[in-house]
Amino acid sequence: MTDASPIRRAARQRPLLEYKHVHKAFGVFKAIDDISINIYPGEVVCFIGPSGSGKSTLLRGTNGLDPFDGGEVIFDGLVLPRKPSDVRKVRRRMGMVFQNFELFPHKTALQNVAIGPITVLNTAKAEAEQQAMALLAKVGLADKADNYPVNLSGGQQQRVAIARALAMQPEVLLFDEPTSALDPETIGEVLSVMKALADEGRTMVIVTHEMSFARRVADWVIVFERGKVLEEGPPEQIFEAPTVERTKEFLGHLGWA
Amino acid sequence: MTLDWSIVWLNKGLLAEGALMTIVLTVLTMGLAVPLGIVLAFMRISKWRGLALLSQCFVELFRNIPLILIVYWSFYVIPILVPVQFSAFTTGLIALVLCVSAYNAETFRAGINSVRAGQTNAGLALGMSQFQVMKEIILPQAARRVLPILATTWVSLFKDTSLVSVIAVGELSHVALQIRSQSFRVLEMLTAMAVIYWMMGYPQAKLSDWVRKKFEVKE
Repeated sequence: MTDASPIRRAARQRPLLEYKHVHKAFGVFKAIDDISINIYPGEVVCFIGPSGSGKSTLLRGTNGLDPFDGGEVIFDGLVLPRKPSDVRKVRRRMGMVFQNFELFPHKTALQNVAIGPITVLNTAKAEAEQQAMALLAKVGLADKADNYPVNLSGGQQQRVAIARALAMQPEVLLFDEPTSALDPETIGEVLSVMKALADEGRTMVIVTHEMSFARRVADWVIVFERGKVLEEGPPEQIFEAPTVERTKEFLGHLGWA
Repeated sequence: MTLDWSIVWLNKGLLAEGALMTIVLTVLTMGLAVPLGIVLAFMRISKWRGLALLSQCFVELFRNIPLILIVYWSFYVIPILVPVQFSAFTTGLIALVLCVSAYNAETFRAGINSVRAGQTNAGLALGMSQFQVMKEIILPQAARRVLPILATTWVSLFKDTSLVSVIAVGELSHVALQIRSQSFRVLEMLTAMAVIYWMMGYPQAKLSDWVRKKFEVKE
């Protein structure tokens, strides 16, 4: 799907997720400085850029956990409301995976995955646990269903966290540096789960420092710097023939020739 | 100086009643101070500034003055404030509850705050309400951290109930000190008192250690 992406992107009618002139400041520091970008259905979009460039802040603002100061996020044609009770209805349609996993330590892997549907969608416990089991199997952790997070490796915890996000049957998955807190040897297992999700045609927004993953899996790459979009395009353009000098420098720093 | 330990045995019935009263006071105080502490903790973290301030004032008042003063204060002030005549027992209980709920409020507040913000975000990201996050995610984790502290408070409270003896509540200290005054068997009665407190307190302290170990937070 990667090769056809620019064409598909151009042909699409309506973005699933639209950011319109969003901005956010921490004191005088402009974390996000008037960003307008689109995410289209079925697309895997990677946000890359140096630390403090605003990519994580943009992702976290998407579901209103860390709201923007201004501008609009439009999800499936719906302007993201400001009121906490209204934003909840939109939030459940977006899955989120955190850098530090944030599994619930007092619940087993299975319970972690089942709790969303049980509390938010009022799914019957038995049904939710059955679905949770299937999702754990999907991320290769069926045998760890009864383990508590403390007894799982970082990579396993993050896979459970992905299953937990999937349990809500979200229309978009937001990944906030999903492998940054992992030991090098467990990064691969998380990336391959994400690759499998991408291959299913899921819409995914991924903040990442894994350049080879972005090159391989993304349909569209957006490069951030100082709260602005430096450059965006299909991965082959960004990684092989960046048009902006700063993109070249950034990739060069990471050892990307 | 001759010691006559028979005074202890002669008064075993009274001492047993006193010991029972000490246990009743401890249980009742904790039984009331836990829910009250929870209410105060929620007031303190509430969005309404007035409620938060009220709770803060209560907590900072009662945890920063000596319990014995609260006991005396209750004894002299409550009859002025309310037209009802409370027994010494009720007055002592009120004093203990005022003090321990202030401690418990801080314990619960700290427990709730100790659960990191990312946990709340994870719950909210699933679409949970603030209430559901509190109930499903924060409170169960906070409870594990709070229990060992409550156990410690319990052990202190058990001993601190002795302070209500100053307003003639018939718990172990009061009974023992009364017998001492009437019989002049000072050393015997004080020793007996110490032994009884220790025999009751030791298992509780051990239980508290066990609770601490059992609910130790692993992450």
